[in-house]
Amino acid sequence: MTEDIDLSDVPESTTVPKKKMRFSVVWIIPLIAAIVAIGIAVQRILTEGPTITIVFKNAEGIEAGKTFVKYKDVDIGEVTKVTLSKDFQKVVVTAKIDKSAAGLLMDDAGFWIEQPRATLSGISGIGTLLSGNYIGLEPGKSKKERREFYGLDVPPAITFDQPGKRFILQTDTLGSIGHGSPIYFRQFNVGQVTGYDLAENGESIKIEVFVRTPYDKYVTDQTRFWQASGIDVTLGAEGFAVRTQSVLSMLIGGIAFETSTSAENPKPAAEKAIFALFNSRKEAMANPETIFTKYVLHFNETLRGLNVGAPVMYFGLPVGEVSAVGLEYNQKQNRARPRVEIVLYPGRFMTHVKQAFYVEKKVQSKAERQSFMQTAVDHGLRAQLRSGNLLTGQRFVALDFFPNASGVKIDWSKSPVELPVMPSGLQDIEMKINNILGKIEKMPLDDIGMDVKKLLESIDSLVKRLDGEVVPEVKTNLEELKRVLENINTTLVGQDAPTQQQLREALKEITRAAQGVQSLVEYLERNPEALIQGKKQENR
Amino acid sequence: MTGKTLGLVVCECCGLLSKPVDIEAPGKCPRCGEVLALRRHDAIQRTWALIIAAAICFIPANVFPVMVSKLLVGVPEDDTIISGVVLLYKTGSWHLAAIVLIASIVIPMAKIAALAYLLISVQRRSLKGQQERLRLYRLVEFVGRWSMLDVFVVTFTVALIQLQPLMSIKPGAGVLFFAAVVILTMIAAEQFDPRLIWDSNNKQGGLHD
Repeated sequence: MTEDIDLSDVPESTTVPKKKMRFSVVWIIPLIAAIVAIGIAVQRILTEGPTITIVFKNAEGIEAGKTFVKYKDVDIGEVTKVTLSKDFQKVVVTAKIDKSAAGLLMDDAGFWIEQPRATLSGISGIGTLLSGNYIGLEPGKSKKERREFYGLDVPPAITFDQPGKRFILQTDTLGSIGHGSPIYFRQFNVGQVTGYDLAENGESIKIEVFVRTPYDKYVTDQTRFWQASGIDVTLGAEGFAVRTQSVLSMLIGGIAFETSTSAENPKPAAEKAIFALFNSRKEAMANPETIFTKYVLHFNETLRGLNVGAPVMYFGLPVGEVSAVGLEYNQKQNRARPRVEIVLYPGRFMTHVKQAFYVEKKVQSKAERQSFMQTAVDHGLRAQLRSGNLLTGQRFVALDFFPNASGVKIDWSKSPVELPVMPSGLQDIEMKINNILGKIEKMPLDDIGMDVKKLLESIDSLVKRLDGEVVPEVKTNLEELKRVLENINTTLVGQDAPTQQQLREALKEITRAAQGVQSLVEYLERNPEALIQGKKQENR
Repeated sequence: MTGKTLGLVVCECCGLLSKPVDIEAPGKCPRCGEVLALRRHDAIQRTWALIIAAAICFIPANVFPVMVSKLLVGVPEDDTIISGVVLLYKTGSWHLAAIVLIASIVIPMAKIAALAYLLISVQRRSLKGQQERLRLYRLVEFVGRWSMLDVFVVTFTVALIQLQPLMSIKPGAGVLFFAAVVILTMIAAEQFDPRLIWDSNNKQGGLHD
């Protein structure tokens, strides 16, 4: 401690810079900001619904950011973009759909632009007048998802959750059927037409109809559909028939269906089952005959009024129809004769038989059918043309029995088989009238006329003679007669005629005598004993 | 030459120049008792943290609607800042659109960018344009209080337009984020220590503190 030590030469240690690697707490702030922002972004992405495109023919009233996609009037999305398609033909609408509604975007979902619409069957979309047009959505039943859609022109008539069944009807012409045309069952509205389109080959039209539950059970595999459009007027041998469904269907067309009561164990039709659409009820309800026999008839009379489709009646019941009317040329004779082809449905001869299987057997066996026909012909069955309607002149073929007809052997080897015919009754009458007319024609009408004239002349001369000679004589005779009568009058009938006076005197005498008798009778009544005892003294 | 190089420290509260006992831990101001610091504590780190937070918040502030207006008919209408600007511009009042655009989008972005530039230049000990950088800092600090314009507008309209069944306006999530951006940038500007700009002049000067 005594010595002074020079420490100036001692080197200084270098300072170690204080390590300050600690992070400030303030970094929590950007961390929180980042977490919040990312959290919200993630939430947004998670709730982000799908984006879809819908192709429309035009984007009437559709605006990006303003038009919504609605299902059951609930917003489920928003239009984000409206652009033209690449070929400028259509409009492509891009819409963002809420994630919650993504399950509605199935393969067969339908989109349409909801706007005020006035159709014959009603007015819809009035609300859009205030709120503006929106895109309606009708979800489908498909399980497949889809993001690109083609917009519908009109809203679907049937909503997705409405219970019922859809059926496809095939027809040649659409008639007056359109979207929303009603479907009738016993003239009761049970559904409507939901769409129609040409078949792929363009040869027919497919109409999609919807039948509501519980009425869809009436559509069976044997149900017939027909167009109930407008007024069905038929003019045939059966007369003049008008059939309508309702005023509405007269205006906008409609479809009716019915299941034949003769249908055997009908099963309810499956969804999207295909049916034929007939033009009329009659056509639809005609029995579908699987077994038929063709016959040819050679009438030797006019076929005027006989049309193809005219019924063949057996005891007034239709058993077949005329399938062809024409002339048959015979080379040998070098002449043509009328030829009528008919189709008979053997099943119709046996609609009521106790054993159904027996009918089947009988109808299906060719030999049985032939023997049935031969027996009938043996008993006098003949085809005859008859007038169905005198007013319209429509004719039909009648199969009837003529017991006097001679038996004919049917030649089954020919095809088609010829059935014997009988000249029609009308023709008979015509012939008779003709005969009468011929006879009348033969009469010497001129001679008769001459004779009649001569006769009349002689009558005339006779009358003249009568007038000149006979009448004056008759006159004098009459005057004489008058005088005689006057004479009689004065002698017999006059007041002072002597005969009259004598007559009066006599009558007075008779009156007096009668009085005497009366008093006698009265006395006797009071005193019957006087008859025996004689008249008694009055003073008893 | 700075106070730090001379071993002197200025009280940020009362401005008294004092000589600290220990240059590493300056202690308290002899006049007002304020805790003295040669440089603001953790200035660079804090400023960075705040402007990053502001930048993050700026995104949702523009993406989310600031105002949801609901009319009697129709669907509620969402308005973001940008859509408001676009609407104003489309309806013809381009000057209003410009004001909103500058106040709500340009200024917050410029503030964040300016602070980031200042921080980077300080960290790189840049010697260039120190005066200009200081001016920039002053501008940032000054302009900060004016960027709450949008928040004001929204709060006013929300409070005023409450015709319940007919029409109502509600603030959207965006306005919260926007307010956060403004507040965060203001605090960031406050946290930055402009004295750091001059620290680059001497090699010995510590970067931090």
